[in-house]
Amino acid sequence: MTVKTSFSEKLFNFCNYLFFILVGLTTLLPFVNLIAKSFSSEAAVISGKVNLLPIGFQTGTYMYVLKDSMFLNSLKNSILLAIVGTALGLFLTTITAYPLSRVQLRGRKWFLLMFIFTMLFSGGLIPTYLLMHNLGLVNQFPVLFLPAAINVFNMLIIKNYFEGLPDGLEESAKLDGASNIRILFSIVLPLSLPVLATIALFFAVAFWNDYFTSMIYITNQDFKPLQLYLKELLVSSSSEFLKDNVDAALNTTPQSIQAASILLATLPILMVYPFLQKYFVKGVLVGSVKG
Amino acid sequence: MKKGSWLAIVLVFALALAACGNNSTPAPGSGSGGDGEGNPNLTMLMQYSLFDPNADPVAKNIEDATGYKVTYEMLPAESADEKLNLMVANKQNFDIMKLGSAQFYKLATAGALEPLNDLIESHGPNIKAAIKEDSWESVTIDGKIYAIPETGSGISVGEELVVRQDWMEELSLKNPTTPDELYEVLKAIKKAKNIVPLTGSKDSIYGDIAAAFGVLNDWNDVDGKLLHKAELPQMKEFLTYMNKLYSEGLLDSEMPINTSAKAIEKFSSGNAAMIKLAWWSASSAEAALVKNFPEAKIGIIPYLVGKDGKSSIGVNLATTWFIAIPKISKQKEHAIKLLDTKLKKDIFIKLAIGEEGVHHEVKDGKYYPILPKFNDDLTNASSYMTGVNEYDYPAYWQARVRKDPVLQSYYEAFQENAAKGNIVVDPMSIAPPIDAVSKNKQKLTKLLDDTVLMYIAGAQSRDNYDTFLSQWMAEGGAESVKEANEWYQTISK
Repeated sequence: MTVKTSFSEKLFNFCNYLFFILVGLTTLLPFVNLIAKSFSSEAAVISGKVNLLPIGFQTGTYMYVLKDSMFLNSLKNSILLAIVGTALGLFLTTITAYPLSRVQLRGRKWFLLMFIFTMLFSGGLIPTYLLMHNLGLVNQFPVLFLPAAINVFNMLIIKNYFEGLPDGLEESAKLDGASNIRILFSIVLPLSLPVLATIALFFAVAFWNDYFTSMIYITNQDFKPLQLYLKELLVSSSSEFLKDNVDAALNTTPQSIQAASILLATLPILMVYPFLQKYFVKGVLVGSVKG
Repeated sequence: MKKGSWLAIVLVFALALAACGNNSTPAPGSGSGGDGEGNPNLTMLMQYSLFDPNADPVAKNIEDATGYKVTYEMLPAESADEKLNLMVANKQNFDIMKLGSAQFYKLATAGALEPLNDLIESHGPNIKAAIKEDSWESVTIDGKIYAIPETGSGISVGEELVVRQDWMEELSLKNPTTPDELYEVLKAIKKAKNIVPLTGSKDSIYGDIAAAFGVLNDWNDVDGKLLHKAELPQMKEFLTYMNKLYSEGLLDSEMPINTSAKAIEKFSSGNAAMIKLAWWSASSAEAALVKNFPEAKIGIIPYLVGKDGKSSIGVNLATTWFIAIPKISKQKEHAIKLLDTKLKKDIFIKLAIGEEGVHHEVKDGKYYPILPKFNDDLTNASSYMTGVNEYDYPAYWQARVRKDPVLQSYYEAFQENAAKGNIVVDPMSIAPPIDAVSKNKQKLTKLLDDTVLMYIAGAQSRDNYDTFLSQWMAEGGAESVKEANEWYQTISK
């Protein structure tokens, strides 16, 4: 190798590192700022002095948030939603995907088209709301996960993964006398852990972050998930809101408490990430050869 | 078989949870049963506020005082109108609705609300006693009353210009009394401190300075005719003045993008000397400022005097909330009885500011809260208001302001300053909802504010203002002005 190429290589690497460090920082720094704010005194936050380190250190905000029954209740709802929603979603999506991945299923193309149709067209907000209401789901906890339990996009990912498994496995199982259900649970699923873990993460994150569904269907305080609570916390201390609601202005939530709430709402899902992340790469590589 | 067993666990877990998820979904007490006293349960829709309306002590107070158990639901903080439409389109049952003016108008004209004339006549003696004649005007459409008006805290001003008094003293500057003096003061501060002296946020364009030019309210009575502030000739003078401040670096160039929190941040960190401050933000702003600069003091600048030698302040008295009974309610009589009982004199004061000696005390004829009991029990009381006793409530309400001495001092100083001047009430305050005005209001306000900011920042030449005005007129302004004046003629007769 000549000196010249190694220099340009170095330069390239340097630029690469620099670029990714910058990208990393742009996502990390707001978070650090939030952490600093949540530990700072309100006076320092109001006068905009807090950057990356807390000023006037205190932990009272966390005490306050963790004692707040509305926060705790919505945290409980979000955790329940993420667990139940993910479990149910994963189960339903998998048992939908498996038959669709088998060539011997009659009318397979039509079934697939029907599913894809729902991906492209939906009834719109008002008909959906009416449907949910007539089903008696409005203001009920299941409305948060039932309509989203089967996600066609996720289903297609799983289906493609199943199709990538060698046919011979299934044939030999059949010869040994295994039923379809047995084949799915004992052979196909254990080989599909990467994709299942990935989809589980998709579901969990989607359920954790969803606030629109709850905003539309839930007015009952008992069932509000965390994201809706956060949204309301932030909206109700915005200046437009306060201008119209002088009484609310007398009880605004200090910014440091808002910061602490946001952090506490983000932490749980952040902690799940690293444990599932290793499956990610294998799982989303749809249809690639399985080694 | 490590993988297999792991999978089995996951699946069992998934199935168990799915099953338990389905079984354990409770059916929450949706109108479950009545109470022992024979009064039915009522359902009330409220506007958004950050608390749990069914768990709040005020809900219990209302139940005890009236004998009605009420289930409360809140509109969401965002997209409230959309959600309301969904609920109404869906014939969701409510007995009482607390609505904003646009929401009220829409539902009333769509025929979703029950006319209340007869109900009030037969069941509403306390309602009739509590509400002033003028306020009924705002809820009457084609001679029919569709709601009980809730006017709130009476005449009060929210914001006023404040200044770093310690700097004023240091530079031996006197409080400005006219826009020209204000200009000189700002210039002197800029020279001495090398900062941009006046800051503000996007929604504080008007106010003190505009009022000194005669731009007082959204709607103004000029020789018996209603003019919108966009068409006032004084608007151009105001814009010229603001543009002068802007181009000489006396007005924060980030004003169009500042939030009010950002503006307060600049003021309390010493990067600005003057700001239009709302009294409800005053105590936190002052605390932050004094923390940063222990020697700092805040002075309030009295309302500026205009060319006519008077200081004028525009206020809006509009009905804030409309308490309506939807047609779909099956318990309209009970609903009106509940509303009426809540306005009974002794019950009303209890619901508003609690019991004397427990929640509030009276000193020199003023109501003071007893803390922390007042906060424990009554913080959210105003969300539950369904119409107020308009003769007494302004005095009661001030107990809330007196929770914090700093807050109180700003509130009282602002009101005192305003009282010295010439308080001009927006004539549209008492208007019933007018179709063209409600319909266009949001769009026109945004159009005007955006353009005004451009003129102030010099991005547009003021010579074009007339062109803008004709655009404003074409996009619904003319229609609004016409219908507003048609209404105005009917009352000024």
